[in-house]
Amino acid sequence: MNSSSLLTPSSSSSPHLQSPATFDHDDFLHHIFSSTPWPSSVLDEAPPPTPDCAGAIPGFHHHDVDSRNQITMIPLSHNHPNDALFNGFSAGSLPFHLPQGSGGQAQTQSQATASTTTGGTTAPTQTKPKVRARRGQATDPHSIAERLRRERIAERMKSLQELVPNGNKTDKASMLDEIIDYVKFLQLQVKVLSMSRLGGAASVSSQISEDAGGSHENTSSSGENQTTAAAKMTEHQVAKLMEEDMGSAMQYLQGKGLCLMPISLATTISTATCASSRGLPLSPNLSTTTTIANGNGSSLVAVKDAPTVSKP
Amino acid sequence: MSFIKVLILKFSSLRTQTMASSDKTINTDVPEKDVFAIHFLQSLSNLTTQNPFNSPDTTNYRARKIKKAAYVSMAKAAGGSSRLWSRALLGRAAKENNKIVRFARRKRKVTWKISSKRRSDQRAPEATDRLRNLVPGGGTMETSKLMEETAHYIKCLSMQVKVMQCLVDGLSPK
Repeated sequence: MNSSSLLTPSSSSSPHLQSPATFDHDDFLHHIFSSTPWPSSVLDEAPPPTPDCAGAIPGFHHHDVDSRNQITMIPLSHNHPNDALFNGFSAGSLPFHLPQGSGGQAQTQSQATASTTTGGTTAPTQTKPKVRARRGQATDPHSIAERLRRERIAERMKSLQELVPNGNKTDKASMLDEIIDYVKFLQLQVKVLSMSRLGGAASVSSQISEDAGGSHENTSSSGENQTTAAAKMTEHQVAKLMEEDMGSAMQYLQGKGLCLMPISLATTISTATCASSRGLPLSPNLSTTTTIANGNGSSLVAVKDAPTVSKP
Repeated sequence: MSFIKVLILKFSSLRTQTMASSDKTINTDVPEKDVFAIHFLQSLSNLTTQNPFNSPDTTNYRARKIKKAAYVSMAKAAGGSSRLWSRALLGRAAKENNKIVRFARRKRKVTWKISSKRRSDQRAPEATDRLRNLVPGGGTMETSKLMEETAHYIKCLSMQVKVMQCLVDGLSPK
């Protein structure tokens, strides 16, 4: 068994398989014979064949195999470009990967250049250079393009990984899920920020830009300037809405920058807030508290809310 | 308008370092925070001059308009027509306003579009399909292009969020 035997393109009589008889990998031959023929069009992505390799195949072969101790396969089937290709062939030697950068470019060039048929070696008038099937690589243009596409996607996934927090997942699927969740989270942040205080902020900025002395309806930004009458009006409005539909009541309050919470919780938070200097970043700003007596006995407090959203 | 200028100065002071494109081959540069800020504030002032906010019943409507203004200003700030998603966003917004928007069609080099229908790709809503739904304009794109657009979109979104957060913090009363 000569695993590093070189398929020397001898001018032997056998028109088909030029491989030496010392091959005892019958399955290898089976692969070759059963695999699909390969069209003659040269792949664009494959590195361009050096022009002199087509003629210098014999010497090239020697050099190649001796230096790399690999099996190179010459495609079979003489005289017309039905080069057999194989996929996933391994014979125990070093696998040869498609070089990603320029590092292996030289290797690739020497390796994947014009391969000829067996008849082509004897008749070097083969005009169409074909990519020789490397070991472990398919030279089908579709699969090469597929491989390039996959590499492109992987490259971009890597750059996305640095953007997304918690992007240390190795699995592509979980990384994609992470990306999707992050995009959804960012969109939700925009929505929340646009909803809560920006309404008041927009009105404040409009007030300043218009330089109008008259008061716009500064709903949430001037919550503490609300007189008791306005507070009572809010309270009545909320009570009215609560009778019909809790959702609309919540929406109305949210538009004003207020939220509902039970009194016990509100008092707890207020004591905690007064204790600390400025309060926790997420503690609500208790500038407006209105007690709304609920129908079923429990009292609710409408509390101003600071819309800080932070990703845990 | 001096108040607005003060705000913008505040942004420049809070400016983080530039989001350098980490990838040399893929260019996903995003302009600075103040570009976003200027566009957003302009859109906001346009919004408020159009229809003054009077009734609190229209809070939802108002919030939606603000959100739309945020997205449109983001799309404009992020290089109006050089990115696919921004074009799709602007087109979508213009359609809502019953306006026709025309973009200069760039010469796109022909990419080898491997149709995924070749393989057995009838899976349940896959992650890439979900991503396509999220990112505007992602319906008809190659996956690699989709990834690029997603990266840029994420950068712009996070920038927009920072701008809005600064705005809210700056304008909220103590």
